[in-house]
Amino acid sequence: MSDLVDLDTPGVATPAITRLVRLMAAREALAAVFADARRRVAAYHGEAELEPWAKGVLALVDVNAGAGGLLAFWRASVELSPRLTPAELGETALGAAALCREAGSSATVAALAAFTQIEPRLAGAGERAIWWRALTALGRAAPDCVERVAGQAHRLVLPGHAADFEGFIEAGLKAAGRDRARQHAFFALEDRLALGLLARIGAGPGFDELEAGLKMVLTALWGATPNLQPLPPAGPDTPGRANIAGPAIRLPDVFPGVAGEASRRLYLAAAAHAGAHLFFGNPRFPIRKFKPVQMVLANLVEDARIELLAMRLYPGLRRLWVPYHVASPEDGPTTGALLARVARGLFDPSYSDPDALVGKAQALFAASLERIEDPLISLDVGTRLANDVGQRRIRFDGRGHVVEPAYRDDGLGLWDFGDIDPDVVAEIKMMVDAARIERHETEDGTADEEPTPEPAGRVRPKAAGEKGVVIATYPEWDAGAGVERPDWTSVRAALPVEGDTRPLQRALDRAAPVRARIARLVRAAKVGRAARLKRQAEGHDLDIDAAIEAAIARHAGEMPDMRVFRSTALLQRDLAVLVLVDVSQSTREKLTDGSNVLDVEKLAVAMLGEALEGLGDDFALLAFASAGRDDVRVTCVKGFDEPYGAPAMSRLAGLTSGLSTRLGAALRHAGAEMSRVRSFRKLILVLTDGEPSDIDVAAQDLVQDARRVVLQLRSQGIDTFGVTLDPGEVGSGPAIFGKTNAMPVRRLEDLPMRLSELYFRLARR
Amino acid sequence: MTLPGNKAVVGDAAGIADSPLSGRPFLPDGEGWSCTIAETPMLVAPDLAAYRIDAEPYYRPVGDEISVFEAAWKHRLPVMLKGPTGCGKTRFVEYMAWRLGRPLITVAAHEDMTAADLSGRFLLTPEGTVWHDGPLTLAVRHGAICYLDEIVEARQDTTVVIHPLTDARRMLPLEKRNELIPAHPDFQLVISYNPGYQSAVKDLKESTKQRFVAIDFDYPAPALEAEIVMREAGTDPALARTLVAIAACSRNLKGQGLDEGASTRMLIHAGRLAAGGVPLEAAVHAGIVLPITDDADVRQALGSAISACFA
Repeated sequence: MSDLVDLDTPGVATPAITRLVRLMAAREALAAVFADARRRVAAYHGEAELEPWAKGVLALVDVNAGAGGLLAFWRASVELSPRLTPAELGETALGAAALCREAGSSATVAALAAFTQIEPRLAGAGERAIWWRALTALGRAAPDCVERVAGQAHRLVLPGHAADFEGFIEAGLKAAGRDRARQHAFFALEDRLALGLLARIGAGPGFDELEAGLKMVLTALWGATPNLQPLPPAGPDTPGRANIAGPAIRLPDVFPGVAGEASRRLYLAAAAHAGAHLFFGNPRFPIRKFKPVQMVLANLVEDARIELLAMRLYPGLRRLWVPYHVASPEDGPTTGALLARVARGLFDPSYSDPDALVGKAQALFAASLERIEDPLISLDVGTRLANDVGQRRIRFDGRGHVVEPAYRDDGLGLWDFGDIDPDVVAEIKMMVDAARIERHETEDGTADEEPTPEPAGRVRPKAAGEKGVVIATYPEWDAGAGVERPDWTSVRAALPVEGDTRPLQRALDRAAPVRARIARLVRAAKVGRAARLKRQAEGHDLDIDAAIEAAIARHAGEMPDMRVFRSTALLQRDLAVLVLVDVSQSTREKLTDGSNVLDVEKLAVAMLGEALEGLGDDFALLAFASAGRDDVRVTCVKGFDEPYGAPAMSRLAGLTSGLSTRLGAALRHAGAEMSRVRSFRKLILVLTDGEPSDIDVAAQDLVQDARRVVLQLRSQGIDTFGVTLDPGEVGSGPAIFGKTNAMPVRRLEDLPMRLSELYFRLARR
Repeated sequence: MTLPGNKAVVGDAAGIADSPLSGRPFLPDGEGWSCTIAETPMLVAPDLAAYRIDAEPYYRPVGDEISVFEAAWKHRLPVMLKGPTGCGKTRFVEYMAWRLGRPLITVAAHEDMTAADLSGRFLLTPEGTVWHDGPLTLAVRHGAICYLDEIVEARQDTTVVIHPLTDARRMLPLEKRNELIPAHPDFQLVISYNPGYQSAVKDLKESTKQRFVAIDFDYPAPALEAEIVMREAGTDPALARTLVAIAACSRNLKGQGLDEGASTRMLIHAGRLAAGGVPLEAAVHAGIVLPITDDADVRQALGSAISACFA
């Protein structure tokens, strides 16, 4: 264990305690304290048991823990002796020694002091080891942060959640990297991410895990799909409360200190409550000059009002909410406690409270029951109760007020802060802060930095002027002259740009119902269509028609065909498809929801890509745009020989709009790519606005050229289909692709579904 | 739901099983059989008594569907009933057949259904080949209402046999028999079609769609639906209302985890369980939650919403 000490007396195993006593005798300053500590530890466990403890002390000596370190350990030993054996104390010393080797003496002193405090929360040797292991890891990477963490130990280590402590340290080291300032901020719990993680210790499942389920429950109860958002913790020691901001329901990342089933119930109760607010009309009273106490009371009445309405519709909600109404006069004389009792009284008319305010609230609320649909009664009753509070000179601190019970929202959604009176600003500022809509990316540790549009290390979009390498030249039909001009167009391979896939992923998430439909189609198609085979030599079923014909043939003296069975066989798919996406300038057009045509195209292609990948069909994705005949740019988003995965999706997301549409050249290139693929059936799907154009030629000529290519491809056995984004149906889609092969999409929002539908229809033929 | 055995489903197998041939060995090599195609005897000459509906089926009108159907009947226009599963389409047809006093021949369409399954085919008897009318031909000859249930399930080439019947010609050509059957004056064709299933690969041909008068069905309004559940399942009004509220929750989840919400039929089943003494929660679980989804998360969410529905 301690090589140094063993070297003193080679070969002979001198008891550690003897060596320690010898060592301490030489240190006058420490000798007295050591003797005292030794005596007191021995008083608990007996002198004979001290050997492992002494070994631990020697280990601390070895790592130069210094006088401070030793003193701290002795102090800890004395305090912990009632609970820990000398062996366990020895382990502790070894842990401290390991830390000391990484982080130095003063960190070890702090860690030992903190350990003494939180030791009762640690269950067994395993959790004690976690404490030292985590701190040692921290000491290795950020030695100066150990003391900060030790200082916050009471918040970071909760009974039964020691593993979360280690997770917190690991997350902090990962998030901060080598950035000293961030390390400091994180481990001093001044960082938003740190606070978020802190809230998760001993709590959960949190918003992320429960979101999908809550969304479904709210949809089922209140009809509309709710807009749920996570709410980062407001600050240290502030219990999280839900918040309604416009149509969005914002739920705390996590309800600190609430874990397991209780957390599920609380989230459900909070979500159902907030959903009821939105369902039963969420009036927004102009804030004018309301006092905070008036607002708070009006909120209480409004909460009771919408809950009453909700429970009329769904009586079972009472079961969900009632466990949280436990306020009673025993809770103490604070205003907050009184308000919680008012909430209980309003929720439960049978509750009676010694305080007159509760009774009055109940009476006023009961009197307004016939106008229960009218949100104004909340303001009305709330104001009258606030007057009472004012007359009784009950002190109310709006700043520190936290809504109780916990499932209720903070009530800010009820108020319209449109034109805020400067007088009240100060008082409600803190409340408004929590209501401000801003989404922080707290999950990936990029909380406090300015948003970077692209993940680091990715290529930025290139300037439009950059040309790629010429990879092929193609002829073009000159309609005016009636000749095909050889090598007229040059196709260049544009370098794909890897874009940020998050917006695309979000769009995909939003389109979940459509994706589910497509997934069903994929499943149906994948199982393989069972083709019925009639007139088989064997099978599971008689082919009645064939059997009868055979019998007739026998009777007529002819040679009967004995293949009289029916069977089924799964159809083999042997299909290659190339999707050609138009990314010309016209796709930059903005839509009403702020996205542009290209975004919808990307979504459609991403969904089709998912479907194709699921089916296992060969497919490639090409994007094209042009700037004159010698610069037709084709971007390969996905080739035939690579799988559709994150890289392809990233390249898809990286497509940008610009330039013109020389469709014919792009089609020829697609045809050339396609001809290299061996497949029974070959499809090219073109996603375009149906208006070929370029800077150096008349649009009508390009239409004729494109038509010619389509016919040529057909003669090569490649079917070309045009999905044209053409709301007015004025484009040349039918002229190019033929009437049956052109599929105009009138409503752009339909494109994703229509594109996939078209594919399934084609693939079936 | 409990009709006194009047709903006859005539499909491929059923058609053969019902024929007098059933039970006899069917072999394509009977020596010495005579074959006279020119004068094939009819195998079945039924009076359709089995297809008549004697007792009034319970049907609660929700709109003008009865008058629309009667008007269509007056002109023998083909009718298409659209609507989600379990909302009363089939019951409506039964009710109308009873009301109009016509026999009702129901065919449940399926993927393997061929045109011969609808129109008929030659079968062998010791005497030779015998023509056997399919359910559609039966209805056309003898003047019944022919109800093709879930028509989209049948292959598109099958459904075109109804085309000559559904326009001004009103006749059924049997090319195998070389016969042209003009429709009986009382023949009417009714199809049902669930647009919920309607996917890219299963849809009616435009040329088929446009031959029909359509009646749209949906789940009835809550009060009405509660009345129906009460009547059909024999529950008390409060229980019926709770079940309807549960159905509304599940219908909100359509497309958000569920493919379809709980149908009225499902409510009736759950209601019968509950009325029969099963605790409500268990009845709803067995009658609604378990059949409707296999996804554990959806089940849990639906369970939470459902538990909010009853006190």
